[in-house]
Amino acid sequence: MTANAIRLDCVKKSFGMTEVIPELTAEFAASEFTVILGPSGCGKSTLLNMIAGLERVSGGRIFIGEKEVQDVEPKDRGCAMVFQNYALYPHMSVAGNIGYSLKVARVPRPDRERRVRVAAEFVGLSGFLERRPSELSGGQRQRVAIARAIVREPQVLLFDEPLSNLDAQLRHDMRMELSELHMRIGATTVFVTHDQVEAMTLADRVLILNNGRVEQFASPHEIYHRPATTFVAGFIGTPAMNLIKVIGDGRHLRLADGTEIAPHGRTGPVVLGIRPEKIGIGEGVIASEVIYREDLGSHTSFVVRLNGEQEVNVATPIGTELAGLDQLYLTFPEKDLHLFDSANGQRL
Amino acid sequence: MIEKATGIDRTATVILLLGMAFVLAPLVIAFVTATQSYQQFVQAGGIRFRISGHFLDNIRLIITETQLPRQLWNSFVISLLVAAIKCAFAFTATFALVFFENRMNRVIFAVTIATVMLPLELVVITTYQIVANVLMPVNWIVKATGIDWLADRIAGVRVPELRLNLLDTYIGIAAPIATSCTSVFIYRQFFLTLPRDLPRAAAMDGAGPLRFMVDILLPLSWTPLIATFMFWFIGGWTSYLWPLIAASTPDAQPAVVGLAKLATTDPERIPEVPMLMTGALFVSIIPVTLIAVMQRQIVRGMNLSEK
Repeated sequence: MTANAIRLDCVKKSFGMTEVIPELTAEFAASEFTVILGPSGCGKSTLLNMIAGLERVSGGRIFIGEKEVQDVEPKDRGCAMVFQNYALYPHMSVAGNIGYSLKVARVPRPDRERRVRVAAEFVGLSGFLERRPSELSGGQRQRVAIARAIVREPQVLLFDEPLSNLDAQLRHDMRMELSELHMRIGATTVFVTHDQVEAMTLADRVLILNNGRVEQFASPHEIYHRPATTFVAGFIGTPAMNLIKVIGDGRHLRLADGTEIAPHGRTGPVVLGIRPEKIGIGEGVIASEVIYREDLGSHTSFVVRLNGEQEVNVATPIGTELAGLDQLYLTFPEKDLHLFDSANGQRL
Repeated sequence: MIEKATGIDRTATVILLLGMAFVLAPLVIAFVTATQSYQQFVQAGGIRFRISGHFLDNIRLIITETQLPRQLWNSFVISLLVAAIKCAFAFTATFALVFFENRMNRVIFAVTIATVMLPLELVVITTYQIVANVLMPVNWIVKATGIDWLADRIAGVRVPELRLNLLDTYIGIAAPIATSCTSVFIYRQFFLTLPRDLPRAAAMDGAGPLRFMVDILLPLSWTPLIATFMFWFIGGWTSYLWPLIAASTPDAQPAVVGLAKLATTDPERIPEVPMLMTGALFVSIIPVTLIAVMQRQIVRGMNLSEK
């Protein structure tokens, strides 16, 4: 199966006076699995719909492969889509659902039936071809939706929050299946979600969108370990990275009341980021008051307050016992610090 | 919520029985009277609750002596046309209103619903004029725009007065009573319960709007369509004023109009009430049978949700 890259060139979208996507340029490489991640209302579904052709662009150009497609009908773009609520045709059998696009395209019946069988087998639904969608479980319906998408052998597969209606266990299983499916099919895949776990586990690269702007477009590893902005830092990780306002005096970073946090050569106000699990406990010098604790078995998660001011999440290393403490002494290792501009939130 | 209290059960049963008696009483009287002969009726000096054996004679009388069998067929065709046109127009109009985004949609919907305020009775004279010559608006446009004057001046051709009379035809009787904004409202509520991604999925599968309407929307809408079709069929069957005006010959009149004409207006003669009652039963057989057969579908259709 051939795969094509998707290129967005200064794509804009506004609904009336509301600007959803101010101007966005990005390229999704051929055969790559890209996840568009962002909070609800950030424009990620709109972006996906514009690639699919379900929504017109207000400006800019979209390329799929070499072809400029922003004014092309959805069916001629070589895209297929899996929807959040499956959007199966309730009155058709599983076979009818999977084969509908082929029927519309006037594929002869024997050929159509063969391709439907292949697609159904691909998602493990061979025995269900005559069932109605209402007779299937949520996971099975999702598989029908996927089979319906792949039966046309699209160059581009689009997913619009396809797992958000499934329960946790099923979601985990479907993640594995989707990952495997992508490897077997190799179509360029764009997957929209607000769930960072899906983004981190499935993606080759993650595009983090906030208010229609790209905050960061990088591999999951890069996004976790080198967040480009305070938005990304505060969005990724459970709990997310701590962001603490500090002032540098050239030798140390200090809290507003002067408490020394960590040695650093920076001067002026900056935002300091540190992951909860990177904070050292016990031997440190920064006193903090414990205000909440959650014992998760493998580790304990604390919320502490630094000098009556900023709240910080701390996670203990696995296997540490810290029962009944009201106070913790913390250290912030210099190599694990992330510094961000206090004005625009960009990484320094 | 289902209450289990026997007190409520009993009260409900009593109320339902009373309602049933109220609704059935006229039917029972009609049926009893239909079994009497004209002589019996005249001798008794009015409606009496006495079952007699002349029902089949009365039926024979209706079939051989009146136009009702022919008019029953008229009613059937007209009601079918009314119901079909109503459903087809309402379905396509609602499809356009719900699935095509347009800033005028709310206004169009409001105007559609507002046509409730304009019943046919109010515009019956102009409607009659138009049905008497459906090409009248064309003539009017030709005159108003000066096309006839131009044709006369330039080519020396006189534009003829166009005429097409639809009075006394099935379509002429059916069309003016075959618009329905109520169904637009019902279908709209139903369409809004369908998954929002359905038309988008169809678009991704390559189906255009018409294809989506025929392949996806129509099969899903069978229940509300059948329910409203039944309603409008019965509505067409019982409509009286417009068919009375639009059909001038007994051959073209529907059964309800024919039935009313059976009652003689001669003040010297006692009306043939037994025959009239037999006719009334005769005329209502088709709608009653339809309701009996389709009951379940009608109730399901009114639930307004898929499946």
